[in-house]
This record gives sequence, structure tokens and C-alpha cells, in this order.
Amino acid sequence: MIRNTRTKRAVIASALITAGAMVLSTIPAQAAETTGVTATTIKLGISSPKSGAAGTAYKKVPGAMKAYFDYINANGGVNGRKITLVSHDDGYNVKRAATQTTKLVLNDQVFAIVGALGTATHRNAYKAANLAKNNVPSLFVNSGFSGFANKALYPTTFAGLPSYPMEAKVMAKFIKDNPVLAPQASFLIAQDDEFGVDGIAGFKEAGHKFSDNPILYPQGGLSSTIAEGALAKLAAAPGKPVLVLFGTTDTTATLLKAAEKLSLTTKFTFLAGSVGADATTLLALGVKATTVDGVITASFFPDAKDATDEYVKQFTAINTKYNKGVPFDNTVLQGMNSAMLTVQALRAAGKNLTRTGLMNAIDTKGSTFASAGLAPLNFSATSRVGYNGYWLGQLNAKGELKPFGGKLTLYTTDSTSGPVTASTFVRKSIPKNGIPNN
Amino acid sequence: MLKHSKSKHSKKIHSSIDSPRKRLFLFILGGWLLLILSNQVGEFSLYQGAFVATYAVGIASIILLTGYSGQLSLGHGALMAVGAYAGALTINSLQWHPVVALIMATLVAGLFGLLLGGAVARFSGPYLAGTTLALAIALPSLANQFPILGGEQGLAFDVGASPARFGDDFSPYKWFFWIATLAALIIIWFVANIAASRFGRTFRAMRDNPIAAQLCGVNVARQKVTAFAISSGVAGLSGGLLVMLITGVSPSVFPLSLSLLLLSGAVVTGLYNLKGVILGGLVLVAIPEIAESLVTRIGGSENVANSLPGFLVSALLILAVMFTPNGPEHIFKRKH
Repeated sequence: MIRNTRTKRAVIASALITAGAMVLSTIPAQAAETTGVTATTIKLGISSPKSGAAGTAYKKVPGAMKAYFDYINANGGVNGRKITLVSHDDGYNVKRAATQTTKLVLNDQVFAIVGALGTATHRNAYKAANLAKNNVPSLFVNSGFSGFANKALYPTTFAGLPSYPMEAKVMAKFIKDNPVLAPQASFLIAQDDEFGVDGIAGFKEAGHKFSDNPILYPQGGLSSTIAEGALAKLAAAPGKPVLVLFGTTDTTATLLKAAEKLSLTTKFTFLAGSVGADATTLLALGVKATTVDGVITASFFPDAKDATDEYVKQFTAINTKYNKGVPFDNTVLQGMNSAMLTVQALRAAGKNLTRTGLMNAIDTKGSTFASAGLAPLNFSATSRVGYNGYWLGQLNAKGELKPFGGKLTLYTTDSTSGPVTASTFVRKSIPKNGIPNN
Repeated sequence: MLKHSKSKHSKKIHSSIDSPRKRLFLFILGGWLLLILSNQVGEFSLYQGAFVATYAVGIASIILLTGYSGQLSLGHGALMAVGAYAGALTINSLQWHPVVALIMATLVAGLFGLLLGGAVARFSGPYLAGTTLALAIALPSLANQFPILGGEQGLAFDVGASPARFGDDFSPYKWFFWIATLAALIIIWFVANIAASRFGRTFRAMRDNPIAAQLCGVNVARQKVTAFAISSGVAGLSGGLLVMLITGVSPSVFPLSLSLLLLSGAVVTGLYNLKGVILGGLVLVAIPEIAESLVTRIGGSENVANSLPGFLVSALLILAVMFTPNGPEHIFKRKH
């Protein structure tokens, strides 16, 4: 007999909890291969930054994807199924990315993850959410980390970008071949995680030697103090040094604003990576148009402001109708393109949709999908890297990206020691009304 | 009369002898309930439950330090980081068992706390808070300076697959839940025993009036260091558990906000009361979920999304200080 009232209460409470727990039923297990798929719906999920510094630059990605899926749904869906996109904010933080992705898999029971954004975030999320063991496809990750192509470590990941070493190799060739830039000192400011480290490896592979050790800043973001300190130090170099930025757009903005503050905007030639040079975002973050004017950047997409491009034209129309009030920029273009690739992958996997079937479809048919990218899609049984090339352009004061030197030259390469070569690749035309028919 | 008094006295002695046993019984009972619960709920609930247990350990470390010994730390996240890195290095470099890694997380952070406590024992109030705050800001950056800690990319913290005897289908999240809750039960039981022991009484005497405690023969400086070291060890365990759940440790996992969040959780729980730590852990896990769900529903702007979790924690903190300064438990207590 229990005499103590408190102990008695505890025992009664325990008994009640036990009884409650017994009554609770676990969620009925659906066959893992078709989790998230019904006869009429396909549930997809994305964890990406919608808040914080990186959120300012990339929050449009999930909205753009959803807009394209809504457009496809309004036109009959994929094999009669409507696509729903569950979006969670991870703030570009590894801990939140891990919990949010786990939530997508376990709680939201999505069929696949699409367009996850970030290198360190996806790396942690991939393991925490057990995507490999659960065989959950992670499609078109917005990262160029070459390690994601390692099928042994990331058997279900498909990158949505070319790899960072490819980008670094193309940038290195661009500097080397340019008679004005080649003789100048060159410096690198990079994000201190796999993103930056991958870039450094690419420059090394290309044989490019910077004039000083790279300046690395934390994954969480570049502070204006570090940016100003770095610029003040580098400004001591003679001539007009080339300053390569291998980071996100918000950090490019911080650096350019620091250059404005120190009146150093004309001291450097800024060469920003494709991830970090969305002009609309730079201007929205308070960088002056005169500073944006002249920034050189690599890209594998057409310019989002190029209304003559058929993909840009179609995506802009979809954005206007299904993503009201959101200006069309490179981030929206990237989101819509990922969504379009997803729809093609789902179609290629056929009516009897399974996770393994979806991944096989990208491995075997992914390189033939229609895409806004000006570089070739690179998917195959042995490659999970999205694209394999870049072209170099220069931003003007309106934020338009124009081919450097007036003529667009596409360079293709690989992530390792392969050469960087000029390519004559011509992408596939956009399917009628932007609705895949593969 | 004499007989009555004697009986009352013996009952009191009996009760005090019985108390640790009763506590042990309650903790074992709690563990048994959680074991049953782990077989009934979904995997995501288990994952969240593991976070609740992890935060509960972190809050227990704050309660021990601030509530019981009267020292204010604003940098417990840094001590968690020490434990987390120690655990990761134990797994990656020494290839030792993850359970040993968690023990190492506790011991190394405790040792770090001992050294730090030795240096800051003469500080009190805002000075100690300032020192620990500086530590929280500096330590993650220090981690970048040593290649063995993996720089900004950090280190993997992989506890590996669950033991083979549980079968291939055994959920990794249930494994996380078991490890985290077992660790939490043991450490909270340990802290509760400390609080009820001679140490606890000394800590409270030191907290309430250091001069009076010193006059009674308490070595205040030594006791402060002891409390700091034990609290650091507990925080280290919490750090180890946290990075186990997200499978990797890097400086960005331990921002300053984590330290402040834990302190807020401790205040909401009741700073002088260990019983509410689970509630504190629940609050810390639930607030980001509530904030995200609210933002999704009301379609708030980016500023709202950024500020809402902080606003909710702050509001809860103010309400807790106003209405339940000793923790929510006293609301349910009968008024005499």
C-alpha cells in the first residue's frame, strides 16, 4: 500500500499515461516505396532558409517551386496526380535543417525531398533524417558540393547545380585567358565549409594561385566587420586586384556594401560565384546600382531579366499568375527550373510511382530533360551532378547579366582533373506552354 | 505526549532515509513509462522526445548552477560545445563506443568547468555572467582555430546503427530516444540527489547569503567551483546528446541564442525547482513549431517569421516571472 500522497499521485499519473500510451495507435505503415503517393496526389517536401540572412536571399525558392507545381496541377497534374509541396524553414542552420528534414520524412510523410538548399545543411539533414536508409530521394539539391555526387555516401541525392570545383575551374580559366585580369593580383573570400573548400579545391586543380591565403568566413554569414577588415587589407595590393567571392548572395551584398563604405568599389574587379550574384537580391539588400554595375559572375542559367529567353518568358508568366507579388529573379528561375525537372522526373518514373523508380528514371533519362540551363544536364548511372558547365557574364546597373565581352561562351568540364573546354551545346526547347511532355 | 513526539521524530528520520530510495523508485518508474511510450508513438514524436530530454539535461545544468548555487551563466552553450566536441573526438579519433563518448562529453566538460570555475570563482553576479557570455561568443570561433575540430564544417557525431539484437527494422529515432532519455533520467536523478545532499544545502546557503555561509565554515570559493564543474559536466552531456541527434557538431550548432534559450527555459521551469525540467524541454521544442505553424497560417512577413520565436520565448519569460516565479508547480499546490 502506498501511504505517501505524492507517490500515490505519481503512480496514478503513471498508470494513466501508460493507459493513454497503449490507446495511442502508431501511424499505419505505408509501403516505404510509395509513401506520400496516393491515386490523386504526390506529396513533396522542401527544407530551405526562409528566415535569417540567407533567407533574405533564398526565401523565394519554395514559393517559386510551389507556383510551378500549382500551374502543373491546374493543367492536369502528373499522370492524374496533383503535387503538393510542404515547405519548412531551416534558417540555413544545420540543426534546424536536420530537424525540419526529419519532420518532412517522418511527420509529413513526403514522397521525396526537392530543392533542399545549402551544403552543410543538407549534409547534416541527410544523415539525421536517414534519407539513405529510408530510400527517400533528395532531388535537385541547391548545392554544388561535389561530395553529394558520391553515391556511396548519398545514394539518393541528385544535385541541382553544377559542382563548385567545376565553377572554380571555369573561373580560373576565365582569369587566365583574360589579358586584363590575368596579370593582376587575385584573392579569394570563401565560405568556410564544404562549399568554400570545394571551390578552393577547384582553383587548385586548375593550377590557379591566389596572391594570399583564402579568407574564410563562418557558414552562418560574413559580418560587415570581417568584410571591411578584409577589404582594407587587400586594398594594399597594387593595381586592380581580382576579388573572387565564393559565398551566398547575402554575403556578396555585405562585401559590396563594405566596399562602398570604404570607397573601394573601383579598387577591385569583383568576380562572384553563381550562387552569390543575384542582382535583384543584391539591389534589394541595399547595394548601390553603380556598385553592382561591372560585377562579373559565372552562371549556367540565362539571365532572369532576359525577356527574350523562352524559359524566362514562360516562367515569368507562371510567376505572375501563381506567385503573385513576387518579382521574378534568378532565385525564382532556379526554383521553377527545379520544379520543372521534378515534374519530368515524376513523369519519367511512370504511373506506378515508386521512390526507386523515380531515382532510376533520373539516372537513365535525366540528361534528356528540358531545362532552362544553358549547360548540359549531367545525370547518368554514374553521375549525380546537375549540370557540367558555366558561362561568364557581367552585371550592369539595371542588374542585367550580359555575356562578358558581348558573346556568350559556355565552358564545360568535370569536378576533377578534366580540361575546361568551350562548348557548342544547345539546350532543348521549352515544352509547349512549359508543361513537360516527356 | 513524549511518545507522540518520539514517533513523529522517528517518522521524520525514516522519511529522510527513505527519500533517495523513493526518488530512485520514481525515476525507474519514469523510465519504465517512457520505455512503454517509445513503443507506442510515431518516430517523429520519438525524435522530438529525444530533443526534450536533451534540453531538459541542459536546463538541469542551469538550475543546478543558477537556482541552487546562485551563479549566473550566460554561456552554457559553450560548455555544451566543449562536451559535444569531446564526444565527437572520442568517436572519430579514438573509435570508442558512443556511450563512452557521452561519458567523455560529461567528464571533459566537467574538467573544463573546473578549470574555468577556478578562474572565475572570485567573480559573482554580472561579472560572472559577463565572463561566461564572452566564452559563449568566443568558444565557437576558437573551434575554428584548431584543425582537429574540423573548422566551420565541424565533425561527424555518428552513434552508428542500433545494436543488431533489436533487428534491422529498429527505428534509429527510438535508439536516439532511449539514449537521450536514459541519460536524462540518470543525470537528473544525480542532480536531484546532489541538491538533496550536503552539497545542495551548502550551495543553497552560499546562494542565499555567502557571508553567513562562510561564517558557518563553508568554503564559498571551493563550493562555487564545485557547482560550476558539476553544472558544466551536465551541460557537456546535453551538448553531446544534441549533436548526436543532428549527427554532427560544428560551431553554428551552439550560437549565443542557445545559451539564452536554455536560461529562459530554466526560468520558465522555475529556477529553484528541478521538477519542471521536462516542461522546460517541451517548451523549447514546442516554441519553434508553434512559431512556424503560426507564420504559415497567418502568412506573416519575413520579419514576423524571424522574430516570432524570440517574441514567444520573451513573452513566456515575462509571464513566468510575473505569475509563476517559482515555476508552474506552485500553481498546482494546495494553498494552506
